Amino acid sequence: MSRQDWRLIIQPDGRPGAENMALDHSLLRAAREGVSFLRLYRWNPPCLSFGRNEPALTRYDTKAIERLGLSTVRRPTGGRAVWHEAEVTYAVAGPSDLFGSLREAYIRIHEVLAAALRALGMEPELAARTSGRALGPGSGACFAAPVGGEVVVRGRKLVGSAQVREGGAFLQHGSILLDDGQNVVAEVTRGTGAAPQATSISAVLGRSVAFEEVADAVASEARRVWDGAWQRSELEPRPGEVELFEDPEWTWRR
Amino acid sequence: MSEIPESLHYTEEHEYVKPVEDGVVSIGITDYAQGELGDIVYVDLPAVGSSFIRMDVFGTIEAVKAVSELFSPVAGEVVEINEALEGDPGIVNRDPFGEGWMIKLQLRNQDELRQLLSAADYAQHIGE
Repeated sequence: MSRQDWRLIIQPDGRPGAENMALDHSLLRAAREGVSFLRLYRWNPPCLSFGRNEPALTRYDTKAIERLGLSTVRRPTGGRAVWHEAEVTYAVAGPSDLFGSLREAYIRIHEVLAAALRALGMEPELAARTSGRALGPGSGACFAAPVGGEVVVRGRKLVGSAQVREGGAFLQHGSILLDDGQNVVAEVTRGTGAAPQATSISAVLGRSVAFEEVADAVASEARRVWDGAWQRSELEPRPGEVELFEDPEWTWRR
Repeated sequence: MSEIPESLHYTEEHEYVKPVEDGVVSIGITDYAQGELGDIVYVDLPAVGSSFIRMDVFGTIEAVKAVSELFSPVAGEVVEINEALEGDPGIVNRDPFGEGWMIKLQLRNQDELRQLLSAADYAQHIGE
């Protein structure tokens, strides 16, 4: 088997939601050519992201979102709403057969994240598959409940992830929480949403941890476990991608 | 063991094709596929009147926070979609070969059915 080509992209300077989603979607398109990517990044301004199929118009209080001046974007991946502020966001993209089925990929990526968190002094586990049924896109915040294979510390979710498979490639991205903040999702949820069951690196370690420290730990664990030819790289979004994710017709499509 | 009805046609991408009336087939995903995907939370289907050729993407399906594509096993025009899936996509988990069908296609070429997998071929494909 030939060695897998890996590109490592670390972007400590935050970007707007549409640009981040355009970049991740561009990784997915580029992965069709056989290259794999690990991108670590952050958001500026902080942003509320909706899952691809979430009924955001009915689920969330659009007036409250406007009043609070929250930036919003709809992801290309499944799952539920996430507030992106104090976190390290990761994206892994590659050919579909790189890690097997979507569940296998989910587990293999989370194992690497868990190992990186262990290197930082935490004791994370992957939630058992039976620990919870998947909640539908109609059922509230991403961090409200762990499902099987997710990274948890003492039963609370530390990483929230979602995936999409398209044209022979996959993209999985997710949030590694540096600090609390998921209550923003509950604040703009209509009715009584499930209370967040999240934790964060600073809550577990009792100290604040910088983006760079976590990003370096994830990158070095990935390079150790995912054998291949690794190169540091940068990537610009494909033409038209930013506009697609900026379009309110997409963000508020349902 | 997953259910693999004898009389249907299958693809390696885990869709089934079920002849329902003259020249019309219903298409959905197999029992094995729904089991692998886990709880299905959303199915995005095409408009009635859309046309596909073999292996075109006709929709997407979301389960356990992952979105995957659905491929048309044969060429044809969509004559009906299963609107019940909008309100209750879990039907695909509960009854994939029955109430959980996704689209009905008017076949463009009946011979394409012969290119699909039999139940025995499909059982071998998924290692059962």
